[in-house]
Amino acid sequence: MKTSEWTLDYPPFFAWFEKFLSLFAAQVDPKIVQLDNLNYDTPATIYFQRTTVIVSELVLYWALQRMLAVMGNRPLQKIINWSLMLNPGLLMVDNMHFQYNGFLYGIMIHSLVDAKQGKLLRSGILFAVLLNFKHIYLYIAPSYFVFLFRAYCFENAGNSIRARSWISAFRPLHFLALGISVIVVFAASLGPFIAMEQLPQLASRLFPFKRGLCHSYWAANFWALYSFADRSLIFLVSKFPVLGQHLNLTLDPAALAATTRGLVGDTAFGILPTVTAQHTLVLTVLLQVPGLIAVFRRPTFDRFVGSVALSAFASFLAGWHVHEKAILLCTVTMSVAIANLVGTSPNSGAGASALTDLRMGGGGVLTSRDVRAFMIVSLAGYIGLWPLFFTREETPVKVLITAIWFVVVGSGLDQCIPRQSKSSAAVEAGPSSAWASRSMLRHYTALERLYLFGTIPVQLYVNLVHEAVFGQDTLAFLPLMITSVYAAVGVVYGWLLYSTAYFSSGKVLDKKKTR
Amino acid sequence: MASTSLRARGSKTTLSSSTIAATTTTSATISNAVASTSTGSRAPKLNLTVYRYATWLEENQMKRSAPWIAVASAVLLRWIIGLGPYSGMATPPRYGDYEAQRHWMELTLHRPIRDWYSDKSKWWDLDYPPLTAYVSWICGYIGDKINPEWFAWEASRGFESPDAKLYMRTTVMICELLVYISAVVVFANRWFANKPWTRKHTALLLILMQPGLILIDSGHFQYNAVMLGLVVWAVNSFLADQDVLGSVFFCLALGFKQMALYFAPAVFAYLLGKSFRQGFFGCIWKLIKLGIAVVVTLGLQFAPWLRSQDEILQVVQRIFPLFRGLYQDKVANVWCAVNVVIKLRDIFDIQELVRFSTLATLVSFLPSMLHLIAKPTKRGLIYGLINSSLSFFLLSFQVHEKSILVPALPITLLILDEPATASLFITLATFTMYPLLRQEALAMPYFVLLGLWIWLTSGTFKNASKLLEFSAAVNLLVMSTIHLAEMLVPPPARYPDLYPVLNTLWGAGGFVLYWLYFNYRQFTLVNTPKMGFRVTKTKQT
Repeated sequence: MKTSEWTLDYPPFFAWFEKFLSLFAAQVDPKIVQLDNLNYDTPATIYFQRTTVIVSELVLYWALQRMLAVMGNRPLQKIINWSLMLNPGLLMVDNMHFQYNGFLYGIMIHSLVDAKQGKLLRSGILFAVLLNFKHIYLYIAPSYFVFLFRAYCFENAGNSIRARSWISAFRPLHFLALGISVIVVFAASLGPFIAMEQLPQLASRLFPFKRGLCHSYWAANFWALYSFADRSLIFLVSKFPVLGQHLNLTLDPAALAATTRGLVGDTAFGILPTVTAQHTLVLTVLLQVPGLIAVFRRPTFDRFVGSVALSAFASFLAGWHVHEKAILLCTVTMSVAIANLVGTSPNSGAGASALTDLRMGGGGVLTSRDVRAFMIVSLAGYIGLWPLFFTREETPVKVLITAIWFVVVGSGLDQCIPRQSKSSAAVEAGPSSAWASRSMLRHYTALERLYLFGTIPVQLYVNLVHEAVFGQDTLAFLPLMITSVYAAVGVVYGWLLYSTAYFSSGKVLDKKKTR
Repeated sequence: MASTSLRARGSKTTLSSSTIAATTTTSATISNAVASTSTGSRAPKLNLTVYRYATWLEENQMKRSAPWIAVASAVLLRWIIGLGPYSGMATPPRYGDYEAQRHWMELTLHRPIRDWYSDKSKWWDLDYPPLTAYVSWICGYIGDKINPEWFAWEASRGFESPDAKLYMRTTVMICELLVYISAVVVFANRWFANKPWTRKHTALLLILMQPGLILIDSGHFQYNAVMLGLVVWAVNSFLADQDVLGSVFFCLALGFKQMALYFAPAVFAYLLGKSFRQGFFGCIWKLIKLGIAVVVTLGLQFAPWLRSQDEILQVVQRIFPLFRGLYQDKVANVWCAVNVVIKLRDIFDIQELVRFSTLATLVSFLPSMLHLIAKPTKRGLIYGLINSSLSFFLLSFQVHEKSILVPALPITLLILDEPATASLFITLATFTMYPLLRQEALAMPYFVLLGLWIWLTSGTFKNASKLLEFSAAVNLLVMSTIHLAEMLVPPPARYPDLYPVLNTLWGAGGFVLYWLYFNYRQFTLVNTPKMGFRVTKTKQT
């Protein structure tokens, strides 16, 4: 019997979830669940599968309703709510491409909302469950680990602890409760496979390190930029051998053969040093550490939720074999972090005084940096998803949902930035014209505007001009490479901007002042 | 003084726009100034999701980008529906409306203009008026440059490919964008000229969300939006008192699709009535201007076939094919409903039926027409358009189920003036097209779009009368019962068409009631020419 090449590479809970769906699938059409019935795509099957995605996304809806209730039902939170519910990234990956991310992000948001409410044990258990649904959430596990360990297992969570009192502040009962519940969750998930002695096989399915540094086409991260640098060097050296001799560069012949192949399969570098899985791991950890330290020193929810986003970024930017879809982890966690901030409502005309009232409830204050970073990362990341939808009739759909989302959410968030920080942002952005002062892009610097507007000609080329000029087969890697590299620039820039917002804001600096 | 007038305005919670007529110019300007600063609290609020969204847009100072967002969303929705199947997809030998439109592009591209209406290839004869033919020629010409295979003479009969479908869908989308959507944007601005921005935008969004037109044009595959858009442009011109321009647009609509004739009595009555009010010489001068506009516009369109009587006759016979019968398939009009009990087609021959149905139509639109001649107001014009098109739909000869889109257009335009009645009508009209859509595997888009429409407009019944709320509930109940029964219980062998017949009976009954209601409304409109709906330019702040 020939079975599918699409082997199961998600953790056991997801397998049980699929098993649960298959009960209904068998009712709809028994052929759906027949193992050797491959590439079966009758309309009924497609309707059924798509319906399961939409129904499972009710979990996300529920989580967002809870978030709205807990974080405060103000304009900023409403915008974030809608932005997540009608997120182009989620729509593209779940409802066009086909995955169950809405459901999983729903669980993640439930867990984060629990943490906000101070129900840390439940938050931890939910996160352990989530990890056993999809192991991509390992990207943010360090933040969870540090936060739960520090906030739940020690007293005096809101403040720093002097070195001497660490032992007295330790709460062994909490530690045991957390440890045991997480172990129980993992035992429920992995236990049967340990009993059947299939753990190594399971691990090899979940962590396919053989697959190479980059996914089939480059996710918008460091390695996209790195590979692009390598390709450019190869191009230069092969065109001008003199340059290569002068700079003493050597070409790896195997990689040279791969140049035209470009983006598919294992990435071999021609000139720059090869990157191994260990390198990426070290780099990821190094990038995560600052955020983790901030949480460890003062484990408040405000710091925690920002560091979750930073952890997601670190893994996305430097991780091994990162999927382009993982950008959702960055944007969704960033959305929650922004929902936790305090913004102004558009027509309250809140100045500094109204803001101090607002500050009572939530965490920090929304700054233009948060918004700019979020919008740039989102746009870049979602455009990085576009190559998943390569047929011509899908092009208007992906372009329109992204553009509409960007304009609506961008304008909405713009109005939530308090006046106070607006003036500072205006200084930062430099002099601007009267047109720009009214526009939703008024807070953005000239360079950022250039980047945002630059996506239009770049994507026009990628989606229309390239095929018209070169046809479908010539230089097919070029549009993909342009998209990846351009998106990577935006994501890296947005990450830097968000990091500065995180480390320079009251969220992290407050403590120094109080000391 | 200003504050009292404002309080008076605020207390009026009815949607009737006749309230605006009461405000004098001074208080109008004051309220405009106030409305621009804090519209939300002063103007009567609508209990609609779309309205809340529009309010949000205004609060966030997104008035400039909002129309673009609305248009982009409308295009997105239509495009997604367009990804689905079309009429006659992969169903040889005759295929469907998609093939008809494609064939006309092929025909106009390869045959000399004189042969367009006399081509004897027995394959989807061109039976639409000349403007459709010209547009087909443009589409065919451009398509031919992209891929000659799509419109190759005779070789492309029944040709289907993903790229050809993409091209055809794009032509519909562009036509709709250029003609219909732009017209609706302008209409919302002119019709609600004295109203808060939020209301304009709510109307725009709801009109663009009308499910019937989306399903037929972007799903089934037709270019109705062009004809309807030209009619809206005509209405826009009438609203701005540019009557000559308006009649040119209306003649273009007639030249695109003969169904625009459903509106002709109302347009004629409105223009005639308006001319009568200009004094003797003014009247004659105005009639001459309008006459020249009509003759020239129609003449230019039909020019290639005006060389001999035979040619003219040939074109007319193609455009008005009387031999096709009293109605097509199942349509929710009077004849089809009566036919359930009395087999009209067996009793009378076709000539008698033509005469009889024409007479009935004439009688049914005459009262509204005479009223419009006597009181040619702008608001009355819209009601006149509804009444004459409904009369044609219910009683005229050879009506398609898709023709309900014609009366649905002016009713959609009244979506904020008669919110509950209009939204209920659209629901019912979309429902009557279900048998057609189901045949073409468009049931899923139908349920999604209709559900969306019902959800978006459900708030309109909050302020409506109990009777209306009740009838909306009953309608919803009947509709879902018929749908559920059709899905679960196969029809008895004796009546294989049981469900479509139930559908048409329910629809026809509803439409007759609507005909009565809108006639009543037209006659009871509180309107004198002086107080009629004025188009004045409001100053934007």
